[in-house]
Amino acid sequence: MHSSSPSFFPGRACWPRRTAAIFAALLVSASFSQGMETLKPYLPNAEATAAPTDQTAPATEASPAMAPETETRPLPPVVRVNVASQSYNFSQPWRKNPPVLRQGLGVVLTDGRILVTAELVNNHTYVELEKPETALKAAAQVEVVDYDANLALLAAPAAEFLQSINGARLDETAAVGDRVEILQLESNGTPVRTPATITTIEVGAYPVDENAFLLFKLSAPLQSRENSFTVPVFKDDRLVGLVMRYDPRSQTADVVPSPVIQHFLDAAGREPYAGFPRAGLTFSDTRDPQLRQYAKLPNGTGGAYITKVLPGSPAAAAGLKLGDVLLRVDGKAIDQDGNYEDSRFGKISLAHYVSTVMQAGQKLPVVVWREGAEVQLEGALAPRDRSSMISQPYIFDAPPKFVIVGGLVFSELSRQYLREWGPDWPREAPLHLVYLDRYQSELPGDRGKIVYVSSVLPGPNTVGYENLSHEVVEQVNGRPIKSLADLAAAVDSPTGQFHRIKLAEDPGLVVLDVEGSKAEEERIKRDYRLPSLRQLDGAE
Amino acid sequence: MPTALLPWSLLIAAFFVTAAQAAPGPAASMVRISTTAQQPDYSVPWNPGNVGSGVGAGFVIEGKRIMTNAHVVSNATFITVVKEGDPTPWEARVLHVAHDCDLAILGVYDERFFEGTKPLQFGGIPALESTVSAYGYPIGGNRLSVTTGVVSRIDFQPYSHSEVDSHLAIQIDAAINPGNSGGPVMQDGKVVGVAFQGFSGAVAQNVGYMIPTPVVRRFLKDVEDGTYDRYMDLAATYFPMLNPAQRAALGVEEPDTGVLIGSVFDSGSSAGKLQSGDVILSVDGLKVYSDGKIDLDGERTEMAEVFERKFKGDQVKLEVMRDGSKQDIALELDRPWPFEMQARSYDKRPRFVLVGGLLFQPLSRDFLDSQKDVDTRLRYFFDYYVTDHLYREYPEVVVLSEILKDPVNTYVAPFKGGIVDKINGQRIRSLQDVAAAFEQPGEFHVIELLGEGRPIVLERSALAEASERIRQRYGVTTEQNL
Repeated sequence: MHSSSPSFFPGRACWPRRTAAIFAALLVSASFSQGMETLKPYLPNAEATAAPTDQTAPATEASPAMAPETETRPLPPVVRVNVASQSYNFSQPWRKNPPVLRQGLGVVLTDGRILVTAELVNNHTYVELEKPETALKAAAQVEVVDYDANLALLAAPAAEFLQSINGARLDETAAVGDRVEILQLESNGTPVRTPATITTIEVGAYPVDENAFLLFKLSAPLQSRENSFTVPVFKDDRLVGLVMRYDPRSQTADVVPSPVIQHFLDAAGREPYAGFPRAGLTFSDTRDPQLRQYAKLPNGTGGAYITKVLPGSPAAAAGLKLGDVLLRVDGKAIDQDGNYEDSRFGKISLAHYVSTVMQAGQKLPVVVWREGAEVQLEGALAPRDRSSMISQPYIFDAPPKFVIVGGLVFSELSRQYLREWGPDWPREAPLHLVYLDRYQSELPGDRGKIVYVSSVLPGPNTVGYENLSHEVVEQVNGRPIKSLADLAAAVDSPTGQFHRIKLAEDPGLVVLDVEGSKAEEERIKRDYRLPSLRQLDGAE
Repeated sequence: MPTALLPWSLLIAAFFVTAAQAAPGPAASMVRISTTAQQPDYSVPWNPGNVGSGVGAGFVIEGKRIMTNAHVVSNATFITVVKEGDPTPWEARVLHVAHDCDLAILGVYDERFFEGTKPLQFGGIPALESTVSAYGYPIGGNRLSVTTGVVSRIDFQPYSHSEVDSHLAIQIDAAINPGNSGGPVMQDGKVVGVAFQGFSGAVAQNVGYMIPTPVVRRFLKDVEDGTYDRYMDLAATYFPMLNPAQRAALGVEEPDTGVLIGSVFDSGSSAGKLQSGDVILSVDGLKVYSDGKIDLDGERTEMAEVFERKFKGDQVKLEVMRDGSKQDIALELDRPWPFEMQARSYDKRPRFVLVGGLLFQPLSRDFLDSQKDVDTRLRYFFDYYVTDHLYREYPEVVVLSEILKDPVNTYVAPFKGGIVDKINGQRIRSLQDVAAAFEQPGEFHVIELLGEGRPIVLERSALAEASERIRQRYGVTTEQNL
């Protein structure tokens, strides 16, 4: 027997287990624990991965030439940034996780604002600046944060706090092979400069989402110290970038480089903050001669084969189609790998041009090869409309949404929820939700959000429903459910004695007594110590 | 859960066979079965596969037949049987095999084998705590072994041989070890079960399982017409109805009665007859309790047992509550095909098509087990194939499972592991479709994978030469098995 086997509700655990290790102040950044081969687009967030064993990077046997030097040069324009942060618990969305402390080095800019990585300040509850030499402290505000580009700007506190510091300028010349210095501080405030070499400049994955931006890779024997969450890199006292992850085995540091920082600062200077534009397409190379022949591409030319155009994206608005081959973008020829010739970096992915060289709102003329002829198109670049995504790639600084009805807890799918299963969440989290998140761009355009039963708070109304776990909700009281707000509205206008909750999966139908559920509300709040049974104004 | 539930097949080589006198009692019916089996190689499907050998037990039943477990003789290329007190190995063959309940019946080419043997008779279900004896050829020696224990539990259990079937099984605490497989478990001179699986010692002690006689008898009856039709299935999921609001909303007034139909699968017994939201109140006149149990032959047992005991084409009468009114529904039982994909298969050669070094294979449990890296999409297609009704769009899920690197396909490597959506514009719904689509005329073969915007293009004119080259370099003996 299969279907009618005696295992009724599939017996899965109610709440995903938390594997997060508590984060101690001295820990290196999340990424320090990650081998480079594990640097996937969905790099887990910091608290979830930094294990206590990573506290010390392996001692390095640096050659004398590579040894960090501690000497008396002018103090670099940095301040310690101490952040208390508290993430939300997405599996028990009414509560926050224990607070953690992170420390980084912020770079004081010429306008007195302080630049840090976004990872340092996510879910912050308190941000504080500390002067390295005097340990003088002042509270700071996060002014702009961009988790895609992993950058954040802190507002300057009272002017006198930073008085003695000359702000850092951005480097504009660093190239592959250049020697740079990674700056850390000893606990007594003495700067430690570790020499490093830029080994690679390429477009690569950033910690959240499937974002790819320009990356510098450095080869450096970096030690774990205080303030490791944001570690600045300088060349001749100009800021080259901020280290966002470090692999101690290969001694490679990935750096958010100055061009990305420059774009971020430019965008931060405009209201509202528009961030980094995206074309909304993916492409593949056209090296395969058989593909070129099939696409009737002349030999000797370049071209990037468009493999996906996101609905509603600038690329879709410009009229780009699956199967088009991008030949020129803004007059720049695109080679077989989708690279253009950048005036500073040479051959680099088109993604850098679109996201970082260009600003949101700018017009972008493109020439594509379609059915054996060139076609000219033009579109206006825009940042990604995150609220239109079916499953958000990350949610920081906002509580998870939930609705509790009669003891059933309903949630809305986000990758942040799936990350509750720990670093190996793509394998550990409920497979159908992982699938819906991963392939959301293939779902129908009007799919809406995915609402599901995330857990059950057992009580008289939930008898027989104890084992519900991650069943997707299709309808409630006859209304289609395309968001938690839909579900709340449907529950608020019952059509009779019962709430009828139609599930996309077995057991297919769950029924709650309308009066019984209402009568239970106070008891659930009291017994499970919930401040509220609904949280709908969460992240968009 | 029982990840370590292993069929006890086994691998001890016989050093010598003692010529003993025909033993009294069950010994006169015992058969030691030696098999040579060839396991198909799903990662290189044209390979003949590894050859291994094993030893199991069996016993003589009426009609000059030997009963044993399916897993003792699965994928067998050569089977010999030896009876107690006779040094000669006799060549045997499989007459019937039931992989869904792990039973098989063997015949011996030379029927003189059965001279001096005594067919065993079957008994009923032994009582809890009553003593039983297990006979077989387990590890620890070559001659017949007997162990004794009590009946510990009678319950539905997963049968690990196919990995998807569950039937009634009886747990005993007599030691059952590798080599006991297929041997009889006796009480009062009658067979009350066939030993078949247990937990490895690392997981649990003294937990062995035997196939009880209702399952054995059903198998014997099923094959009376010469073919085995397998177990029947409702092909619908059902769930307990313990929630008062759920019961009231669906109009179920009788207390403790009824199970809720969740999903109904196409092409199964219930297709077009039952629908999601129906409540089954009774089966063949037996009241269905709200936890999915029924009273059958004085025992409280799973409702499924009613379907378990029936045969292909048999009717089952259901009383169903639908939209607040009672209806009588008669189903004709059959076995739905979508489930086969998730079952382990035996005695079959892997199916595949190889074109230009691109290997296409249908998704199956055996295939999946042979793969190293399985991506989210493929895992989803396997796990949710039945529950999300993926079989409707994909009667077979065809995977581009391997690329034998060659100049003709050297740019295709990143697409390994993808699910084939279209070839030359034709939707691919089975492996046959793949073979047929490549017969289409045209300058190029164009292969589209699910979720991949860039097609794989193979120039037809380059293929013929490439195929020969690939065959020689990679030792490909045949380019397709449909």
